[in-house]
Amino acid sequence: MNQANKNDKSRRKFLQKLGVAGASAVAGSALLLQGCSDSNKSSGNKVKVLTADNKLVEVDVAHLKPGDKIQDLSYLQERGREGIPGKKFVMVVDLAKCKNARKCMKACQSAHQLKPEMHHLNVLEMEDPVRDTSYWMPKTCQHCDNPPCVSVCPVDATFKRQDGIVLIDNERCIGCRFCVAACPYSARTFNWTEPKNSEEFAEVTYDMELNVPQKKGTVTKCAFSADRVREGKLPYCVSACPNGVYYFGDQNEDLVTNGTTKKTVRLSALLDNNAAYTLMPELGTKPSVYYLPPRESKG
Amino acid sequence: MKNIKQYRLIILFCLCFLAVANVNAQSDWPVPAKENENMSPFLFDDDMVLEGRISYENSCTSCHGTPGQDDFTPMAPPPGDPASDQFQLQTDGALFHKIKMGRGSMPKFEDAFADDELWNIVAYIRSFNKDYKQPLPNMEGVEIPEYSMKLSFDDNIDKLVVKVFAKNQPQPEVSIAAYVMGTFGKYLLGKSQTNELGIAYIDVDPTMPGDEEGKLSVMVKASKGFGRAKMNEEMVMVEPTIRKSAIEGRHIWSTDKMAPVWLKVSFFITVFGVWFVLLFIVIGLRNINKANKEEA
Ligand code: SF4
Ligand code: SF4
Repeated sequence: MNQANKNDKSRRKFLQKLGVAGASAVAGSALLLQGCSDSNKSSGNKVKVLTADNKLVEVDVAHLKPGDKIQDLSYLQERGREGIPGKKFVMVVDLAKCKNARKCMKACQSAHQLKPEMHHLNVLEMEDPVRDTSYWMPKTCQHCDNPPCVSVCPVDATFKRQDGIVLIDNERCIGCRFCVAACPYSARTFNWTEPKNSEEFAEVTYDMELNVPQKKGTVTKCAFSADRVREGKLPYCVSACPNGVYYFGDQNEDLVTNGTTKKTVRLSALLDNNAAYTLMPELGTKPSVYYLPPRESKG
Repeated sequence: MKNIKQYRLIILFCLCFLAVANVNAQSDWPVPAKENENMSPFLFDDDMVLEGRISYENSCTSCHGTPGQDDFTPMAPPPGDPASDQFQLQTDGALFHKIKMGRGSMPKFEDAFADDELWNIVAYIRSFNKDYKQPLPNMEGVEIPEYSMKLSFDDNIDKLVVKVFAKNQPQPEVSIAAYVMGTFGKYLLGKSQTNELGIAYIDVDPTMPGDEEGKLSVMVKASKGFGRAKMNEEMVMVEPTIRKSAIEGRHIWSTDKMAPVWLKVSFFITVFGVWFVLLFIVIGLRNINKANKEEA
């Protein structure tokens, strides 16, 4: 960390000396200012935005400027690596409630520019041939606290953040697929072909928290909707479920919120009272996704 | 001419009948008469519609779809489109009651939303009905009290103490609800009523993790009749917890960024050492070869 800071400082000094950067920054902000000033006419098309002090305001689309920070790749890369301090995100999946509505999968696939056969999240049918029963099990990346995928990546393209989310930087990924082999939960998929609507996304700046635009020849997987979580919103899948299957929240707060009912409950109580389990605990991967057994329930 | 008129009348009659039948389909969800006549104490304005829209998009879209688009999830029974007559012909009180209490696959939002937030959602649903005129309760002679609150925490009994005043007078029988604000939603700590001294007590679980100073962000709502108040405060109520980063320290999966300097240094010394020895041997062999050739 220290070292990184130092690097950063020396780089900044270097840039200052260069002076060119300064000049271009001035030019850049002048452009931005201009962008603001000539946007007095309104288009009548309003959008909601969250201000820095967490207030919702409605602004006219014409007042938004495209030169925003959000478009800046290095800003996005830095933010994506860093994560959100003080948080540790967890998901709880209540198998008793899953009725295979597959709304979560649809929401996920449309958010992450995935073709129908590619999954960050898949609802699997789990069969018990002895008792002749089956149940539905949504399965995502488990965001392991001990992620084998991270240790095998030769180029540090996949990494774990301070808030527990495991992400992929497809600007770095060389497509070796070591991580696909290392993941015991088969959570990762590979872009064998050009991703869905790739022409439409050609100009979009890459945001690793959303992992869009997808890139052919790189690996992709569930990101716990890091982009939504940053805005204080529940992940795409969690809020799309009509059956109240998903809870999502912060382990440090011991609170998780149900995506359907919006009810917030204590994580520890939810896990203890329902005999929660994790997938393949014997591997020592320490998943951040908990499952509540598929028993008949009143809820 | 007369014939056509009759024809129209019949069609009109059929349409009316259909509309009534439609309402009947909903009426198998009985709403208590008192709830049915319940009216919003707030005037539905743009702010309420905007807030309601946010809540709706977060909590209702997954089943009911976008109002007016008829894109609700096909379920049995169908959740229906809130912009349709099936919804709009109901009273505000009925909509409010149904959202609040839920039934079957319609979740109960009582704990997730406070009453004013539920009215926001009703306001949003009504914004799709051009013919809607908000019925207003008779407010003649009713004075709406302005409540103020004081929050404190009694660590002897682990209770949140809420004092409610109006014009410096303590207010009895005011309903109090206290929440802890989580990242994605609010957790209901408890509900209570003020006693004759205008004080309400709400249990706080001391095992709840707070921040580094033991603070929890609480939100308290007070309501009685048309009077309401809301208050947010950060309060020291529980044990401080240290929030650890998930990547702190070294792990089996640590990348080179987290490796200590001594490890990096000794790694490179060893690698360069081995190369140096190899190079030394190769050069030595070459020299011997050269010397051999010169001798010959
Ligand atoms: S495929 Fe990409 S992310 Fe996976 S191990 Fe190789 S470089 Fe790393
Ligand atoms: S589930 Fe697989 S991809 Fe996700 S963190 Fe664990 S090992 Fe990595």
